[in-house]
Amino acid sequence: MSNEMIFVGAIVGSFGVNGEVRLKSFTSAPEAISDYGPVFNENGTRSFIVSLTGQLKNALSAKLSGVLTKEDADALRGLQLFVPRSKFPKLPDDEYYYADLTNLGVFDAGGVQIGKVKSVQNHGASDILEISQLGKITTILLPFTRQNVPTVDTKASRIVINPPDGLFEDLS
Amino acid sequence: MSRSVWKGPFVDSYVLKKAEVSLEGGRNEVIKIWSRRSTILPQFVGLTFGVYNGRKHIPVMISEDMIGQKFGEYSPTRTYYGHGADKKAKRK
Repeated sequence: MSNEMIFVGAIVGSFGVNGEVRLKSFTSAPEAISDYGPVFNENGTRSFIVSLTGQLKNALSAKLSGVLTKEDADALRGLQLFVPRSKFPKLPDDEYYYADLTNLGVFDAGGVQIGKVKSVQNHGASDILEISQLGKITTILLPFTRQNVPTVDTKASRIVINPPDGLFEDLS
Repeated sequence: MSRSVWKGPFVDSYVLKKAEVSLEGGRNEVIKIWSRRSTILPQFVGLTFGVYNGRKHIPVMISEDMIGQKFGEYSPTRTYYGHGADKKAKRK
């Protein structure tokens, strides 16, 4: 899991004539994109050290190491930026990165696999796990609480759920 | 213009009934509702409502700081969720 690369941002174009780029950051605090050390391209062959230079409309302006001219910056347009999962700081108990929860196997209390975690969402109330069921197209939304998800074992890549009454029956 | 105070908060009556039944039963369940316009009342704290967004019921766990808001505010009708990146989920 620690070698996994996490998608944290993208270059949307050049900015100015001095080789700066317009950077779209997807981190929870946009400025945090420069806190995790060098960022990499998708296959890890190129790396850049990001120094933020300002705030733009819906983006940040930044200087990347090795990018000195506007032409260099233009050539990077559309490049997706990744950070190794191991660079993220450790979290306290009961807190998990979205990237760690996604794709975990979902099991019931009896040990039977129900599906997989497709995504984690938060619409302002609480975190919600979107679970794709085995052999079905429909997904289930489950609030991420101790009552509903008593066990989270990221090392074994599994969670055990105790779903509220009627959640699964409605869709079967 | 805001709603007159003397009227009190608006809640669809079926939402109140369903919440009462759930509170009496004490079961862990998602209460399905279609009323996005209803106000969240103090007696709903701790319950989980499935608020319809036009396609599915989004589970909304009610906490104290949500009192006075409308259910619909927590059940978006458009589907762009962004990227996970370094976002964190807390198990409550």
